[in-house]
Amino acid sequence: MFDELSDYRKKIREFALREFTEETSERYDRNEEFPFEIAKKSLSLGMVDMENPAKILIAIEEMCRVDAGLGISATLPYFGGEVLFLFGNDKQKKILNDVYHGKVMLSLGITEPSGGSDVAGLKTFAKKSGNKYILNGSKMFISNGAIADYMVVLARTSEEEKRHHGLSTFLVNTKSRGFKATKLENKLGVRATNTAEIEFNDVELSEDDLIGEEGKGFYYIMTFFNISRIYVAGQALGISEGAFDKIKGYVKTNNITDEATMFEVADVSTRIEAARQLTYNAASYLFKYDPKPELTSMAKAYAGETAVYSSEKAMEITGKSPDESIQRIFRNAKIMEIWEGTSEVEKLVISRQILKGD
Amino acid sequence: MEDEYELLRDTVKEFSEKNLDEKRIETGGIVENIIQNIASQGFLGAKIPSKFGGSELDEKSYNIILREISKYSPSVAMKIFILNSLYYPLVKNTEMESTLSDASSGKMNVSVDFLNKNKIEGEKFNGTLNDILNADSNNIIVFGKGPSLVNGGTVMEKDFMGFRGLKFGDIKIESELQHINTKVTLNDILEDSYNAISSINLGLISGALDKAMEYSTIRKAFDSPLSSYEPVAFNLSRMVSQKNILETILNNNIDSYYALNFSMNILVETTRYALNVHGGYGYFGDFGVEKFYRDAMVMRSIFYGNSDLKKLSGHVYGNKVGFI
Ligand SMILES: Cc1cc2nc3c(=O)[nH]c(=O)nc-3n(C[C@H](O)[C@H](O)[C@H](O)COP(=O)(O)OP(=O)(O)OC[C@H]3O[C@@H](n4cnc5c(N)ncnc54)[C@H](O)[C@@H]3O)c2cc1C
Repeated sequence: MFDELSDYRKKIREFALREFTEETSERYDRNEEFPFEIAKKSLSLGMVDMENPAKILIAIEEMCRVDAGLGISATLPYFGGEVLFLFGNDKQKKILNDVYHGKVMLSLGITEPSGGSDVAGLKTFAKKSGNKYILNGSKMFISNGAIADYMVVLARTSEEEKRHHGLSTFLVNTKSRGFKATKLENKLGVRATNTAEIEFNDVELSEDDLIGEEGKGFYYIMTFFNISRIYVAGQALGISEGAFDKIKGYVKTNNITDEATMFEVADVSTRIEAARQLTYNAASYLFKYDPKPELTSMAKAYAGETAVYSSEKAMEITGKSPDESIQRIFRNAKIMEIWEGTSEVEKLVISRQILKGD
Repeated sequence: MEDEYELLRDTVKEFSEKNLDEKRIETGGIVENIIQNIASQGFLGAKIPSKFGGSELDEKSYNIILREISKYSPSVAMKIFILNSLYYPLVKNTEMESTLSDASSGKMNVSVDFLNKNKIEGEKFNGTLNDILNADSNNIIVFGKGPSLVNGGTVMEKDFMGFRGLKFGDIKIESELQHINTKVTLNDILEDSYNAISSINLGLISGALDKAMEYSTIRKAFDSPLSSYEPVAFNLSRMVSQKNILETILNNNIDSYYALNFSMNILVETTRYALNVHGGYGYFGDFGVEKFYRDAMVMRSIFYGNSDLKKLSGHVYGNKVGFI
């Protein structure tokens, strides 16, 4: 599946190398500024083909290999789109075409100030009132939060004994009255991406804004995670490869041959190959509509850890004379173990899935 | 620890808590007021002889200062380290020694460069020194055949992820090279600094762990404090025990090779895990934990490498090994 796309991969790599120059990457990183132009360009030129999931994965990987801050920003306008695609009504789905072409930006609000790992513990409430819902609460660390046109929001609609039964998803227009986004600054890495804290103060939603059925939100989001975690594995794989590019370049340019460094080179490249196999394997199930949550979580957790490992090794090996681009890779990598489920959460999923059944 | 050291530790801790806000220091630099404060407390010139206005403290006291300060402000600790562990031994007992007075009173900023060796020759330096930490220095020691002193110059700042309170960048310099008449080499000063480097590492580890331990008892996930989950409790407890082992090695001056290697082995993992325990909050500067991870990685890359592993191996085997 992925081998057939080698021309597409090449095209993306060339695009990323051309657009994500060191100077551009540094600028957006320093200023913590979202690269609107780059994001638009990548979508409007059809560079990132949002309608083919294998292509999305490749685009994410190749772009993050050059610069994760810009690469993630360029591929994130669609974040949450799968929830609409799979469960949305016709009106909601209509937005997707504009999203694919970079005209409309989405975001996804699950995490709250009081917790992200425990999704079912969220407190934001959408109270039914006649044929409307009134949304109150807050969300934390929402990517695209301050720049998105719409946000897919997971909120509680009823108090149930089983907490995850009372959750529903909504499509919220960010221009709605009572919607407030505050940009969060001073991130360690992926600083070109936009992150915000969100407040909902009596935001009025119509029944049409409900995505799918009431009470099914938790299930929808878990389905979404089975997709998005593959993409995060792709981000992490790209970061790892980018770190390895730096290691390789440094070792060759400086003619380093000592055995200790050679073993590090072997170790990093072995882990990256393992992360690649895991990611593509998990993706191949997903893209045949047969997701395997344990494989997805293995790929996400392992690729995330590999990104961190490779970036730390890149810092160590190139150490004495620190290059800004390598420092940026290091700063970017750590988010891979945090968002879309921390490594710990992935390990909970993996062990539960593996031990399930006979 | 004996009483006098405990007293010193408490004094430095109290001072740091009150005066050193790394978040501010990272954005605004180590301002004059802070320099005056650390100078008047005697921390800046910790090891410098009293005839040059320093505190002439013993090794152990110096290490305590570095450790306690780097818990709060790694940048300030690094500034003290550059003067006392790198600059001072190179000018000691030479005609440049008199510069120590201005350095320990904070009137003059100093730096030592390891990276631009191949550019230094002759009697003058007219060019650019790359990647200098504490770049806005009046006096910089460079290494050609031996150490020389050059005057500072115009700094072209670069982004550097560690010790952000100090200026970092390239410096355009036009200066005489004043040869320093000493037998001390770069290798010597780095090897003699193992305990000091390990003390900064210990400070970073302790600062990060203090935050993680506290957060793990306050923050709840799935309705229970993070510390109630085995992976969190086990990892943090293991890391605290490792920190205590490092502290014991340093307090009793057991072996500086062991101290350096052990501290470098636990440094990055511990600071990374401390960030991790904070979840998404850990990724933001406001929580004051990601800085430890950045500084740790910089310490690990700059002050540790193949040559230190060779030294350790030589120390353990008692002869030269690992040379193929
Ligand atoms: C830059 C950035 C962008 C983000 N973008 C989005 C977004 O667009 N949308 C969105 O909804 N969220 C987003 N997030 C939030 C992210 O998904 C959460 O930060 C993450 O899920 C962790 O939640 P938390 O921060 O509340 O940590 P917590 O849930 O408080 O966890 C803290 C620590 O405890 C550990 N832990 C928790 N429970 C257990 C357990 N049972 N056993 C062992 N360890 C445990 C966690 O692994 C973690 O290390 C973003 C975060 C960041 C930093």
